[in-house]
Amino acid sequence: MNTVPRFAAGGLFAVASLVALTGCATNVNTVERAQPLANANYIADKRVVTDNTLARTVRVNSVNQDTVSGNLLKVQVTLENLKNNARTVRYKFEWVSDTGMAVGSPNETWKVITLQGRETTTISTVAINPRAVDFVFKMSE
Amino acid sequence: MTTATFKTALLGALVLPAAFVFTGCQSNQVRVVDSKGPDAIVTSGINPQDWSNAADQLVGSLLTSGALDKAPAQPAILAVDRIINNTTVNVDTDLLIKKIRVALSQTGKVAVTNTMGLGERAVVASEASELDEMMTGKKAKVIAPHYTLYGKLIQQRQAINGVTQ
Repeated sequence: MNTVPRFAAGGLFAVASLVALTGCATNVNTVERAQPLANANYIADKRVVTDNTLARTVRVNSVNQDTVSGNLLKVQVTLENLKNNARTVRYKFEWVSDTGMAVGSPNETWKVITLQGRETTTISTVAINPRAVDFVFKMSE
Repeated sequence: MTTATFKTALLGALVLPAAFVFTGCQSNQVRVVDSKGPDAIVTSGINPQDWSNAADQLVGSLLTSGALDKAPAQPAILAVDRIINNTTVNVDTDLLIKKIRVALSQTGKVAVTNTMGLGERAVVASEASELDEMMTGKKAKVIAPHYTLYGKLIQQRQAINGVTQ
């Protein structure tokens, strides 16, 4: 006789949890050309993961580069939110010269970006120093 | 152990770790915070991150467009004019201008000057030209800038249902 109220309470809790977990989802649907005309210059990257939680939340899908204004390196990183809820991450670009030395830049600051649920977005930056030939992309929660 | 004692012990076991979790990361000590780092605070006013983001977006957009490469001469001459503040916040617009100037100067594609421009800046340019002529004995030639940087800060406040943007 005592089990009926327990089952009712458990069921009510399960229903409330389901509503709570799905009610805040902010997923994003996208539409794009089936056969892309863009010819992106993707680069092979090396990844060092020290935050597995972040790696399971936001994924770097690809990195491509371009040269703008004649001799300035532009890098674009495509991020994907692997969760159904919005996620906010911080990111930063650092530049490296052809001799492997870090190149200081005024735009080397931590920036914040919010990705909606399951959203894929791109972030890009331009190296203002012509000596920059390489980069390091950092991401943090 | 009675039920009441067990419940009390269980409650204490839950509350005590929770107290550590909420207070363990707090520090009231004065410490240096990197203004460009992730720990910098965000306020309702215009903070350094806003200036940084705005400047980066402007510089990145300008470089990507290739507009600077189309100047009649290289490096292009950029005159920095005023940034008009139409907001209720008292800000130093030089914070924004300085970062843009430094970034564009580092590219080597722009020669930034604040002695040429519009209005009162033109007076300064004229005086600079006269000084140069006096110092060198040669008639100075004032080169008109290829580009002029100016801007305006606009504030719009909207409030609905107790939420203000």
